[in-house]
Amino acid sequence: MGILNLTKLLADIAPQCIKETEIKTYFGRKVAIDASMSLYQFLIAVRSEGAQLTTADGETTSHLVGTFYRTIRLLEHGIKPVYVFDGKPPELKGGELNKRMERRAEAQKALDKALEAGDQTEVDKFNRRLVKVTKQHADEAKELLKLMGVPYIEAPCEAEAQCAAMVKAGKIYATATEDMDALTFGSNIVLRHLTFSEARKMPIQEIHLNTVLQELNLNQSEFIDLCILMGCDYTDSIRGIGPKKSIELIRNYKSIEEILKHIDKDKYPPPENWNYQGARELFENPEVADPETIELKWGEPDEEAMVKFLCGHRQFSEDRVRNGIKKLQKARGTSTQARLDGFFKVLGTTPAKRKVEEKNKKNTSNKRGKTSGRGRPK
Amino acid sequence: MFEARLVNSAIFKKVLDAIKELLNEASFDCSESGMQLQAMDSSHVSLVSLNLKSDGFDKYRCDRNLTMGMNLTSLGKVFRCSGADDTVTIKAQDDADTVTFMFESKKDKISDYELKLMNLDQEHLGIPETEFSCIIKMPSGEFARIVRDLSQFGESIVISCTKEGVKFSAQGDIGTGNVKLAQTNNFDKEEESVIIDLQEPVTLTFACQYLNSFTKATPLSNQVTLSMCENVPLVVEYQIPELGHLRFYLAPKIEEDEN
Repeated sequence: MGILNLTKLLADIAPQCIKETEIKTYFGRKVAIDASMSLYQFLIAVRSEGAQLTTADGETTSHLVGTFYRTIRLLEHGIKPVYVFDGKPPELKGGELNKRMERRAEAQKALDKALEAGDQTEVDKFNRRLVKVTKQHADEAKELLKLMGVPYIEAPCEAEAQCAAMVKAGKIYATATEDMDALTFGSNIVLRHLTFSEARKMPIQEIHLNTVLQELNLNQSEFIDLCILMGCDYTDSIRGIGPKKSIELIRNYKSIEEILKHIDKDKYPPPENWNYQGARELFENPEVADPETIELKWGEPDEEAMVKFLCGHRQFSEDRVRNGIKKLQKARGTSTQARLDGFFKVLGTTPAKRKVEEKNKKNTSNKRGKTSGRGRPK
Repeated sequence: MFEARLVNSAIFKKVLDAIKELLNEASFDCSESGMQLQAMDSSHVSLVSLNLKSDGFDKYRCDRNLTMGMNLTSLGKVFRCSGADDTVTIKAQDDADTVTFMFESKKDKISDYELKLMNLDQEHLGIPETEFSCIIKMPSGEFARIVRDLSQFGESIVISCTKEGVKFSAQGDIGTGNVKLAQTNNFDKEEESVIIDLQEPVTLTFACQYLNSFTKATPLSNQVTLSMCENVPLVVEYQIPELGHLRFYLAPKIEEDEN
């Protein structure tokens, strides 16, 4: 689930750090994709008349359709994707996972009720809430990626942490996920909406950790504490303290320890046995595979095997699959356009200077709109 | 206070036409030495570098260095209002929010247009000095024609320069196209000749789309200079008579051998 309300907080108080771009600007870039997140998106979004796509015997194929077409789209734009799958969940995530299980149980109950009442929109709604990425989904997606010649990595633990480690090591350019905790794990650049459907015309959001820290005026460890305060997957947060209060407290006291010494514990009781140190440790030193040992190779797609895999009992249209493979081969065959910034060094960026009064105005009005576009009228 | 006057406003219009296909918005950096613009297109494949020297203007005054960010489509609208023989005066106060363009026609007509300035993020690129392997000087119209013709056959053009001459080629689904130019021996008309200064042969591949955009600068100058070197971006330069130059840099396409 990432960090509660972090995007909103950034859009409100640090709109400079979210840049909106188009997919075509990422050609030639290696990007790590949070696989569980994208499979989940596909299971939710790739549907026909509200139901997931399935084979004749009812096996879901939405995740494969999504992986197939959207990966092709990335490759066609000259992006080199590498999918990163989650390993075992960290122990601290147990609480969060239990909560999710409870929510699923509730959704199931609601679904049964809606089915009984025959309310179709409610049925759709709760059906979507029950979506879960299973091991089988992941395994099938891996198999498909292998046939497409696209590399994937199995993270020892959390995928976002692995992605962040690879970005930090300079192995890849950015992490593509919707989860903001990729930033907390220290991924310098995070891309959101990269695997969204083209039809939605969603601009890609590019978030730079450096700008985030600069704009919030925090260092990385303070930022981690801020994320824990706001609510992460690994521990509870203090009831009654929201994003605004969190940033204020962190700016004043710099760490959770200091905050605990100063706040009114009757008004804001911290959770019992609050394991914020554990969560902090997890963000700072997550369990990841050494990026240097990872070899990324984009290979030739295996046409016949793919046709067999997708068109057999999974009932994909053979024409469409072969068409897709042609696109893959074309994307590979042509020589790639180099980037100019690969030859000439960027000496420095002069961010658009803003006047102080304008900055204040920005905080109160039109918060969201300001994140779009490069230019700002004076 | 900034003020620059150019009797021949058409030159400025041509410059604008040459760059507005690549750039939506850009910042003009004005200093005592002149007006400069450096900006990459949004996909970071090409770079526009414009230099207009202060002594090329009919009047030039710049008290303090000034950066004027403008939307080039809007600037195009302003210049669409100018007549071919008009004189243009560009004026801005220090730290102003707007820039004024004043057009004076021969018939005592004076029009003023004020354009809102923008604050733009600027990325400054350091361009290293390069010893080019070959420098080709050729008629700019010829270059535009070749690029246009070959674009019909493929997405990219291979430019190959040897001591015999320069060869442009493209290939695609429908077939292939090749254009060879030999060095001219007759130097009577310099602007019509092809001159090659070769240190060593080079072959590089470039995307047609960008080359085509560059040739929008053809009306600025009779001649164009292409400078090439292995593993370095191509430089396409148009001299602007008496005023300065407009340069385009283009990253080559590279063969994929290892990831």
